Amino acid sequence: MAEQQNNFAHKRKINLQITTPRGVKFKEEADMIIMRCIDGDLGVLAGHAPVSTVLGDGILRIFNNGVEKKLAVFGGIAEIKDRAVNIFSTIAQRPEEIDLERAERDAREAEAILLEQSEEVQVHSLRVSLRRSLVRIEVSLHLEEEKFTEDDEEDEES
Amino acid sequence: MTSLRDIKRRIANVSSTGQIIKAMDMVASTKLQRVRAQLEGVRPIYFELKRIVEGLAGEEEAAAHVFYRERDVKNSLYIIFTSDHGLSGSYNANILAAALEHMEQGKNEKIIAVGYKGYEYLKKKGKNIIRSVIDVADAHVYYGSESLAKLLVELYLSGEVEEVFIAYTHFETVLSYVPYVERILPVSAGVINKTAENGRKYEPDLHTYIDHLIPLYLHMNVFRAFSESHTSEQASRMVNMDAADKNAREIIEELTRMYNRKRQAGITQELNEIVGSANFFE
Repeated sequence: MAEQQNNFAHKRKINLQITTPRGVKFKEEADMIIMRCIDGDLGVLAGHAPVSTVLGDGILRIFNNGVEKKLAVFGGIAEIKDRAVNIFSTIAQRPEEIDLERAERDAREAEAILLEQSEEVQVHSLRVSLRRSLVRIEVSLHLEEEKFTEDDEEDEES
Repeated sequence: MTSLRDIKRRIANVSSTGQIIKAMDMVASTKLQRVRAQLEGVRPIYFELKRIVEGLAGEEEAAAHVFYRERDVKNSLYIIFTSDHGLSGSYNANILAAALEHMEQGKNEKIIAVGYKGYEYLKKKGKNIIRSVIDVADAHVYYGSESLAKLLVELYLSGEVEEVFIAYTHFETVLSYVPYVERILPVSAGVINKTAENGRKYEPDLHTYIDHLIPLYLHMNVFRAFSESHTSEQASRMVNMDAADKNAREIIEELTRMYNRKRQAGITQELNEIVGSANFFE
């Protein structure tokens, strides 16, 4: 993916900025960004048309100089401009900030309760919890396997 | 005439109060540091979201959305932020005065009182309090404001209220905080977007976008108002405790002087008596 875009966009970078309630969390240049919106993934290169979109729970993938970074971003909105992407979200976590054990525990618990017969009201929040845990786990694992360029993730959410 | 012992007792009394004051001052200043950091964190996202939300009001399609459309106002919801504890000078009085003044413009108000002081005051005034939020731990402010934002969206959408105001104290510096009453729903167009971006698209569509944007904006708005008020409260308390500390020290100084003078007077008098009686016997 990285080679393809180098052909025409290597001079043009996107300025990515992620703002959370704890201030500006992440500010970096990127060649390409893939974000999870509520209706599917959206890839952005420099020079994108101005679009505002709603983000879902998922992984934000940032490609810069052939290196991929992953962030867990849960909800929020993104404002895409020609050369800049502003993301506003309540939660954005780097791999090193994720407590893997806790995420795994949360996922197991949510799964276990979902398997049993449970209240209709709970199901929604449990699904959200499960989905977020799985995203956290995946992002967190990315930290350890950063040297692998192969992209062998599975989409657990579909 | 106060006796020496009385003065001594008063000195002890004032200095132990002074110690409490000093402790409260220290607590307030550490808390101030913390809430101030929280406030600085939330301000950028709030202002950016505010810009986006108000910018949208310029779009024709958005202006028809329920969060933007003006309705005939029968009931107004007020969210009033006060503190749970006293000893913060005129902080609570200022915000309550501002809120009451605003309500007097012929509003049929429903009130969500945040903070014990405001709750008690408004209850005594016989105001229509529909919900009170009291004693929120610092760690729960974030989630508390999320559920508060959800509640006001519910009230707004169900037609129980047609407009929502938020009354909070804006923190400027440690010495200045200004009470504000702002309307947050329906969203009023701010400065009509000068930099109107033509042809901005919304995914999946504008309505869905607004449906997600507004709750996030309100959450950040409430959280920020919470933080602003909280920071102002701590700053106000700190400043007041500083003043009280100074007063206590002045009183102690004065009392000590009085005590010494009295002691001297007593000694002089005793000496006079001794000398006088010695003269008598000679």
